Amino acid sequence: MRPIAKVYTALIFLFLFAPIAILLVFSFNSGNSLSVFSGFSLHWYQELLHDTNTLGALKNTLILALSASILSTILGTAAAVGINKLRSRTMRSAMNTVTNIPMVNPDIITGISLMLLFVFAGRLMGLGTSLNFWTMLIAHITFCLPYVILQVLPKLRQMDKSLPEAAMDLGCTPMRAFLKVELPEIMPGVLTGLIMAFTLSLDDFVISYFTAGNGFETLPIRIYSMTKKTVTPKMYALATLIFFAILALLIISNLMDEETAQERRLAKAKRKKERKPLSPQAKRTLALSVLGGAAVLALAVSFAGRAQQLELNVYNWGEYISDGSEGSLDTIKAFEKWYEEEYGQKIRVNYSTYASNEDMYAKLKSGSVSYDVIVPSDYMIARLIAEDMLLPLDYDNIPNYKYIGEQFRGLYYDPNDEYTVPYTYGVVGIIYNANQVDEADIGDWDLMWNPKYAGRILQFNNSRDAFGTAMYKLGIDVNTGDKAQWDQALAELQAQRPMIKAYVMDEIFNAMESGEADIGAYYAGDYFTMADAQADSVDLQFYYPPATNYFFDSMCIPSCAQHKELAEIFIDYMLSEEAAIANAEYIYYACPNALVYESEDYIDEMGEEAMEILYPPMDDFKERYNSYAYQNLSDDILSYMNELWESLKIN
Amino acid sequence: MKDTVSRQRARVATADRAALAPYTVWAVLFILVPLVFVAYYAFTDNAFHFTLDNVKRFFTATSTVIGSDGSAQEVRTYLLIFWRSLKLAVISTVICLAFGYPIAYIMARAAPRVQRTFMTIIMIPMWMNFLIRTYAWMTILQDKGIFNNFLTTLHLPAVHIIGTEAAVVIGMVYDYFPYMILPLYSILAKLDPKLLEAARDLGCSGWGVLKRVVWPLSLPGVISGVTMVLIPSISTFYISQKLGDGKFFLIGDAIEGQYVANNLHFAAAIAFVLMIVLLLCMGLMRKLAGRRVEGGL
Repeated sequence: MRPIAKVYTALIFLFLFAPIAILLVFSFNSGNSLSVFSGFSLHWYQELLHDTNTLGALKNTLILALSASILSTILGTAAAVGINKLRSRTMRSAMNTVTNIPMVNPDIITGISLMLLFVFAGRLMGLGTSLNFWTMLIAHITFCLPYVILQVLPKLRQMDKSLPEAAMDLGCTPMRAFLKVELPEIMPGVLTGLIMAFTLSLDDFVISYFTAGNGFETLPIRIYSMTKKTVTPKMYALATLIFFAILALLIISNLMDEETAQERRLAKAKRKKERKPLSPQAKRTLALSVLGGAAVLALAVSFAGRAQQLELNVYNWGEYISDGSEGSLDTIKAFEKWYEEEYGQKIRVNYSTYASNEDMYAKLKSGSVSYDVIVPSDYMIARLIAEDMLLPLDYDNIPNYKYIGEQFRGLYYDPNDEYTVPYTYGVVGIIYNANQVDEADIGDWDLMWNPKYAGRILQFNNSRDAFGTAMYKLGIDVNTGDKAQWDQALAELQAQRPMIKAYVMDEIFNAMESGEADIGAYYAGDYFTMADAQADSVDLQFYYPPATNYFFDSMCIPSCAQHKELAEIFIDYMLSEEAAIANAEYIYYACPNALVYESEDYIDEMGEEAMEILYPPMDDFKERYNSYAYQNLSDDILSYMNELWESLKIN
Repeated sequence: MKDTVSRQRARVATADRAALAPYTVWAVLFILVPLVFVAYYAFTDNAFHFTLDNVKRFFTATSTVIGSDGSAQEVRTYLLIFWRSLKLAVISTVICLAFGYPIAYIMARAAPRVQRTFMTIIMIPMWMNFLIRTYAWMTILQDKGIFNNFLTTLHLPAVHIIGTEAAVVIGMVYDYFPYMILPLYSILAKLDPKLLEAARDLGCSGWGVLKRVVWPLSLPGVISGVTMVLIPSISTFYISQKLGDGKFFLIGDAIEGQYVANNLHFAAAIAFVLMIVLLLCMGLMRKLAGRRVEGGL
């Protein structure tokens, strides 16, 4: 290699590995920030090992990638053999065109189109849940197939056609001739296809996002769902572990290849003309396929077996339940254990997560999933009730409901307390960096429109909350049905746009912690997460503007639930002292459960400042809540808002 | 004897058909039928009655854009979004090609063992989840990020990258770079070195060999690479959200946004138009490349 080529290669590799280096370094961060490094620690690795949900998602991802790549390799290789032998030109080019479609189609279209098909087929067959592991598997096989075929076809074409014919003249069956003669010849192509398929399947997010269903959460979906709370260095730790595992595997495989190459050279030297039926490489692949096949089978069996076992499908926000980190209680595991002790029967909770109310609604509305417990926010609850998508609860099965404070009952979205059990609540406030922002400027929403801080301000990257900030500022009712008032709010947001640094959701954590931005509105509890991780030069503070958003996230049972009573038992358990405190301390939002907010241990643990901010004065709470909370907008206004939002975003 | 041969032929033909049958069924069910569904949703309303409104809306919906000088301007919303997505995707693809071609060439000319190592190195980043990789780029590119710290250490002025088109392009180039290199490499590796020697013997300069021999022969790889980078970058919605500071609204964001807002029919209409345009582009590109590449792009 010439020196210039060496330098060039080094630069390209630097580019390829720069982000990998970043996640490697930050996986050892002792703090919880992804942009402020506060010291070396193995803390996140420990957390990771205790996080059964994340490890479960990893397992799911691997199972999916392994089954999809092996099945698509088998199917694709057979297809390539068939296509290669097609006599008619038209047929061949037709097959090639069809094969190319998934490659020329953006993955978002492949995802949506398959989802539409599955939903339709599910309705046709009268299934309540048509999206599940198997639909994801089909989707993954579908987009992997072309890559396999395109790897295998050229190898087939390069092969001497007389070889398999000779084998058959000598008495081989076509199958035997294929296995003994053709397969070893095309093995390199098959292997590359397998590896590509595995890689693509492992990395896919978009197609999985649209075709994912009940109780089968993959890693990319889990990570995407952390969009409201925050992505922790735990995910980086996981990526680092994966990195080293792959590195080890590749080094081993390279060494083995080296051996085979040497063997081959030796064989050549001896002028042995004997054709090995299968190269060691091919044997390894075969072994792998058999293993993979066994894995798929085992999975199928375990799925079938699970039908006997009690199952509960819970669908919650990302990072919205205590997961056993920092020595806390893993409330899902604790529930499973408690249930078995109490009722003498094993239960399995399939826990999956979503990034927004709207994501969750889109899945439910498609009629292709079945969840037993969901945790929507207030305005979404109102919508679900209006569309008959929630079941009334049997509060006799939820005795712990009595601990929900009186002021948190009979709220507008469920005036007669029929459908919901409040899980968390909170208020939106403004977070600012006191080292940069003048104390005189704080107090209300004007801070987010203050030209003094142009380029340092963050705004919500979700339409409802962003319009909310403008409407509270203007004194407009956030639930107005008057389009002129929405236009007014849009004008306010458009005026703000040149001053905005970024439209953010979870990115706000990074931006505020590192001092990238100085002002941003977010949910009160999250302020403490940011303040904990702030850089030395940053001093984050928080206040509530006079009019601002109050929200509730409540546990509900959707009408697609299959285990209603079980779901009620689960909800009741989540209200029990131990579980409720663990969840409240983990989520860091206010909890409407008296067992929590009156617990001295909890109050001590949270500290005075947190209690004061998280639990605003209660005297006029209900009134304030009912007048400031988001309510369900009519379809007309909702789509009008979306249009306005798009026109703001394209500026 | 003749009988055995014809029987054998028949057996082979049956075997070949048997090999192709499962894939044919699969392709019809899971490749073709879903596309029919996209079209069906694109041309129906919520009650599944035929309508052209969704597609019409794509072409005619307007909104007001306010310029930096405060002047308001009426624009076609989705055409503008589409145009922007196409622009960023084309820029990313050109960069991938410009930087990927030399690497693929270097790889193809290296010793077999080095080739394997290269391949591994290029594939490894793809095994880290792409959401996480994109996240790591945020840490690098932000105003007080690693890159600017590095510049400051060198006493160079800091640059503002995150939230600009450049950041989105970097994200796209990074995520799809391997897709460009791999097909280029597999074509270039198969190039017969004797051809290059012959060209040189016949008086071609180094540049001439590249232009007249290597490049034309590698065109199938180029087309394949361009497709594999252009398609995903045109429709991404995550990269623009994270690295574009939420200020770049691309066609993928529009589709996802409509899906989340439960406007499945309009989402399908956007997808449908996008699909038709891309299929036409790809067909045209292959025609222009003037070479029928059977079996693949």
